[in-house]
Amino acid sequence: MTARLPFTRRAVLAAVTSVLLSAGLPAQAQDDPIKIGLVAALSGQSAKSGESITRGITMALDKINGEGGVLGRPLELVSRDDESNPGKGLVAARELVQREKVAALIGGLDTPVSLAIVPFVNGAKMPFLGPWAAGTPITQNGAEENYVFRVSAVDEIVDEAIAEYLVAERGVSKPGMILINNPWGESNEKGLTKALEARGMEHAGIEKFESNDVDVVPQLTRLKENGADGLFLVANVAPSAQVVKSLDRMGWDVPIASHWGPAGGRFTELAGPSGEKVHFIQTFIFTDPAHPLFMKLQESFPEIETLADVTPATGIANAYDSTLLLAAAIEAAGSTDGPAIREAMYGLSGVEGVIKTYDTPFTPDNQDALGPDDYVFTHFVEGEIIPLAK
Amino acid sequence: MRVPASALLLDAVIVALTLCAVLLLGLTDGYTQFVLGMVAIWTILCVGLNVLFGLTGLVSLGQVGFFAIGAYASAIGLQAGLGFTLALPLAALVAGAVGCLLAIPAVRMAGPFLAMVTIAFAFIVEHLAIEWRGLTGGQNGLMGFPAPGLFGFPLGEKGLIIFAIVLAGAMLLAYRRFASSGWGTAMAALRDSDVAAASLGYNPFGTKLAAFAIAAGAAGLAGGLFAPLMMFIAPSNFILSQSILFLFAVILGGSGTVLGPVVGASVAVFLPELLSGFAEYRLLFFGALLIAVLLAAPRGIVGTIAAFLPRRPNRAAPSAREDVLTWLAPQKGGKGLSVHELGIAFGGLKAVDGASFNAKAGQVTAIIGPNGAGKTTLLNMISGFYVPGTGRITCGTTDVTGMAMHVAARVGIARTYQATRLFGALTAEQNVMAAFARGAFGRPFRPVATSEARALARGLLSFTGYAGDAETLASDLPHVDRRLVEIARALAMRPDVLLLDEPAAGLMHADKMALAQLLREVADLGLAVVLVEHDMEMVMGISDGIFAMDAGQPIAFGSPEQIRVDARVIAAYLGEGEPDAPTRALGHAPGEMVTLVARGLCAGYGAADVLHDVDLTVKRGEMVALLGANGAGKSTFLNTLSGLVAPGSGRIVLNNTNIEGIAPHRIVEAGLILVPEGRQVFPDLTVEQNIELGAYRRKSRPAASELEALLTRFPRLRDRLKSPAGLLSGGEQQMMAIARGLMAQPQVLALDEPSLGLAPAMVEELYTILAELRDEGVTILLVDQMATLALAVADRGYVLEQGRIVAEGKADALKQNDALIKAYLGGSTESREAAQ
Amino acid sequence: MTLLIAALVSGLGLGAMYGLVALGFQITYSVCGRVNFAQGSMVMLGAVLGYVLTVRAGLPVIVAYPLALIGCGLMGVVVEALLVRPFANRGSDAWLMATVAGGILLDNAVLFTFGNEPRSLSSPLVETSWQILGTGVYPQQLLIPVVAIGAALALQLLFRRTRQGRALLAVVQNPQAARLMGINTGLMISGSFALSAMLAGAAGLLIAPLFSVHSDMGTLFGIKAFAVAILGGMTSAWGVMLAGFLYGLVEAFVTTYLGSSYTYIVVFALLIAVLAIKPSGLFGTAALRKV
Repeated sequence: MTARLPFTRRAVLAAVTSVLLSAGLPAQAQDDPIKIGLVAALSGQSAKSGESITRGITMALDKINGEGGVLGRPLELVSRDDESNPGKGLVAARELVQREKVAALIGGLDTPVSLAIVPFVNGAKMPFLGPWAAGTPITQNGAEENYVFRVSAVDEIVDEAIAEYLVAERGVSKPGMILINNPWGESNEKGLTKALEARGMEHAGIEKFESNDVDVVPQLTRLKENGADGLFLVANVAPSAQVVKSLDRMGWDVPIASHWGPAGGRFTELAGPSGEKVHFIQTFIFTDPAHPLFMKLQESFPEIETLADVTPATGIANAYDSTLLLAAAIEAAGSTDGPAIREAMYGLSGVEGVIKTYDTPFTPDNQDALGPDDYVFTHFVEGEIIPLAK
Repeated sequence: MRVPASALLLDAVIVALTLCAVLLLGLTDGYTQFVLGMVAIWTILCVGLNVLFGLTGLVSLGQVGFFAIGAYASAIGLQAGLGFTLALPLAALVAGAVGCLLAIPAVRMAGPFLAMVTIAFAFIVEHLAIEWRGLTGGQNGLMGFPAPGLFGFPLGEKGLIIFAIVLAGAMLLAYRRFASSGWGTAMAALRDSDVAAASLGYNPFGTKLAAFAIAAGAAGLAGGLFAPLMMFIAPSNFILSQSILFLFAVILGGSGTVLGPVVGASVAVFLPELLSGFAEYRLLFFGALLIAVLLAAPRGIVGTIAAFLPRRPNRAAPSAREDVLTWLAPQKGGKGLSVHELGIAFGGLKAVDGASFNAKAGQVTAIIGPNGAGKTTLLNMISGFYVPGTGRITCGTTDVTGMAMHVAARVGIARTYQATRLFGALTAEQNVMAAFARGAFGRPFRPVATSEARALARGLLSFTGYAGDAETLASDLPHVDRRLVEIARALAMRPDVLLLDEPAAGLMHADKMALAQLLREVADLGLAVVLVEHDMEMVMGISDGIFAMDAGQPIAFGSPEQIRVDARVIAAYLGEGEPDAPTRALGHAPGEMVTLVARGLCAGYGAADVLHDVDLTVKRGEMVALLGANGAGKSTFLNTLSGLVAPGSGRIVLNNTNIEGIAPHRIVEAGLILVPEGRQVFPDLTVEQNIELGAYRRKSRPAASELEALLTRFPRLRDRLKSPAGLLSGGEQQMMAIARGLMAQPQVLALDEPSLGLAPAMVEELYTILAELRDEGVTILLVDQMATLALAVADRGYVLEQGRIVAEGKADALKQNDALIKAYLGGSTESREAAQ
Repeated sequence: MTLLIAALVSGLGLGAMYGLVALGFQITYSVCGRVNFAQGSMVMLGAVLGYVLTVRAGLPVIVAYPLALIGCGLMGVVVEALLVRPFANRGSDAWLMATVAGGILLDNAVLFTFGNEPRSLSSPLVETSWQILGTGVYPQQLLIPVVAIGAALALQLLFRRTRQGRALLAVVQNPQAARLMGINTGLMISGSFALSAMLAGAAGLLIAPLFSVHSDMGTLFGIKAFAVAILGGMTSAWGVMLAGFLYGLVEAFVTTYLGSSYTYIVVFALLIAVLAIKPSGLFGTAALRKV
């Protein structure tokens, strides 16, 4: 027995070590899939939007893998829920990068989550594509080597656009702001203030509200008393609906220009018929049921019956295009190495997305693929998002 | 001073775990290292929460608030260039200080109120973090901290994680020592019985404050590590649900155990990692798991495993009896207790009025009186539990009137309780050792259980006659032993005055004799022993002076011989002379059919039986009296019949149906109705509603004529029909309670002490009515301390002594029975001799 | 002036709703000294069931809402039987954590069955608003206090006039004596949890048309209502209702005059301050301690 003991002990040690090592260092064969990580809100109030991002990516992956993948390897999606919580999002991003060894990250539905992830991905030299969160500093983060790209709206540009719309098209002279009390609201507070300052206009007040507030009448009453003749609205779908309901209740009919929050769900169902009066910005909408991507979506997700069932079409389109751009960059880089992919991002051209065809979508000075020209003003009509007639 | 082997083993496990965690860092990827760091941070926080929740028993749902304060303090400190070496202690200090502030309102609350205050605190911190943008960066939070270093030596992420792991290990080691120190003992005592902890001299406020501060400080420390590890903090890291997870980790690991926090933290941190692939289903799974653990393993993982581990008994020898006696004897000859014109009123009712007596050092002074006389209230005032309304209490030359309990205890007043109040999760000897310090915490890591303390505690235990294992948990002790341990604990305070509240209740005769001898011996050492006791044989046997009271009023103070022949005392106990209640009218004799039978009934509360093999029969239409001194088991017998107490063994048959062990409402349905002691009315319901509730189990709604008939029988109730029962006088309430019982149309009506606390005229009226009921054929089982009164109306009687039937027979015959008077007032000569 | 009226309207409507949910806490606490910390999820359940039964199953409101309330009541019974009683029998306080976990479980179960999108439960009482003194009021907002006070009155009638109601009161006032009356205290406790969940469900149905229906809509209501119940002292129903109005008004006034940023900070700091001065709540009574 004594003679055998050292051997067994060594064997056990060896086994343990090998298990530990193999857990830490997964073998990488050539035809193994390339992993793309997704960090987004898959539960809670924003789950619907998270779902649209997942659908957009899935559609793009189906297309790419159907055409033979990238670098001869299929792409695979690994998703993590951030519960709209920046801390959780950051930890999830770490896990995807350090343990799952993803080649790139897509995600960040909420601006705060993206902002928390940005320093980490820049440090880890990990390409990060934002298909949704619009906070200006996400891409303009001041990093020397910026790994953050975006195929979505940018608050500062959106704010300029909705200010222009409200002033030029609706003749508003003293707008008030009603903003959700979170970093997204904060980001737009800056953008809108800047846009008004550029016009030498004053505002009727900046009011904040919580996403669970039932009643926004006190805040709106303050704006009305201050002489507001138009409103900027920044909030997700449910809180936006609360604002419209409160306006209805006050009997205050006032022009409203909104960020794209209302697109995230069944806005007119929640807000009532007055929801149609809210004009908001979009990067993409389905107007034709015969659109090839829409038909493919219906194929893959049978629960989609009408155009009204894909209300956050923006999310699907942005995520779809993000994935295509990422795949093109990996193919061009010829490897899954972060810095190489980043370099390749700047050289992309002729990538045919659903929003547009991208020619040099990114430059080191502008890591946003979409600009003012890609925005459309829309509103809800009978549950569907329709472009405003100019 | 030797450290016990199990403690050394625990230390070794903690060190080994710490080393393993550090070694594992070298073998894993960056993310796993990060997760290990999170486990360490959680462990640090949970150790603190374990002090608050596990050790002190206070639920806090606000720990995330302290965690946040620590994180922000450290982040802001780091950004201000303070350096990690200073920022980390700053985090713990700031959080600890805020913990002290929150404790000030929180310690006065319990249960849901405390939970709410801590929830509110967590919300305030979260929203301050959101709104105080200049300091906290608002919703966007803070990021980009300088890399942490210790004393100028850069740590890097891995170094920081190693530091966190070592710190967590140190926290576990510290907890192990803290829990067995005077501090930990005080907290555990407070958790198990706050009243008893105060009567050992522990300041409840100070103890809870310390627990809050420690938990807050540990959470702050954890937060201080969290910020540089995450390199990002925002208000959303510190939401309320995080607090719930912290508490869950402590419960899951095993609250109050040394290793619980690290096990709980590991599961709470690793589990979401395992479930990360299920993304959106994670919370669903988490909720289900939490419930499953709570249901299946209430003691947590460590607690459940520990229960299976063999325990190596400590064989320390008890101190010699002489040493114990020398130790116990007061140095300066002892201080007596003097009570002067003491009084207190509750809501206008004078519970005690004008009580005056002297309990000299070296003497046993007994306080006697029937139930409701105010004896325990008197003890409560002396020991500081109630603040007296009038009068003065002095111990030696110190005026202790109105002192808080723990202050009075430190002056030298120790006490025991009617229902023993041991610290259930501590062993017998730990209970005793908890009293040595007289409320002083001592050094935070110095064990209470030194070998000297252990020997002395065991010496005290064996001095009181406790023969069991000194390492048995108090909650597992049988009734007799609980009393002995409680006396040993009181003695361990080295008091000048020892107050005992019914120490002999429920004890066997031999045990009582031994107890009497013990108390005599303690008094002879120079302590003033004050005894509230119903066992007259014992009282008469050992007392030097007796203070008798009735209904809050003093009736006599004198030697046993004087008291035994005092007419007012005898009247208070047995009732005044021959009552006028009519004896059974001729023409209606009880039938021979048996209605209720109890055979070989044994029952009790907890470990020891109060009733032993009780046989009793009630025939249809008969009125049977069950007599006996207080504590003989009469109420227990009735409560067992009515299903409130589950019988240990034996049978109860009502009209040929077994009713033992079934739910009380089914027994009521079967027709056995108990009118409980102290009336037990529903105070906010009207008299009419109270009476109607009596018919709750009847199939049909009672007819109006039934109420009318009851009102004719109890004319006093007619005017009061619409007034709340709580406003009725004691006599009226008793009438109402009996009317309520009759409304159920009982097969057997059991009455528990109906004359208790009633004025003599009212007692007479009541018994006249009972006689009428008897004559109308209602089957009645009557328990009354007023033996002569009960026997005047009853057909037959049973005498219960110490849970056994010692005499039975026709009422007339029992009246003459000498055993009856002895059962009440004691007085057999041989027992007195035995005690002296 | 308009601001004042707007604050009053908001405060009274929401305060009544908090009071209604808090009443549920008060009932079970009075009967057995324990509460259902998943009360917020019961609010959500009421609204979700109301939505499913009217919109998806197409039942008329008059049938659907009572059914929704019965559903909540049943859930209350289940919570008591599975998450409260086992711990109460052991003398453990773990029911607190267990009901919290039950709430998490229920919220997520609804998320996967009902869907992750907020939906709208319409009511004819929010279609047009009445303009009063410069501010608008939906009839629904006035309905909430009416229903809340009506529910408190109805409960009082139930307690005072019905056999089972009085039995419940008897358990509250003297559980031991209640058992001796033949009252099945276990059933009564179960019933109190059902009643409590039904009150929360009613609050959910009432607030849904002003808000939206989604799986985590109740959490915050549950916490606020618990604060209200504690503030009211947990012992008297009218005390709790009054505390509800007080809480709602303070909340609305802070939001109106200081801005919504300070609402939580001020309201919860006030709550702690009140409890520091009156540890058993504004209208609670501390029982005499005995040993």
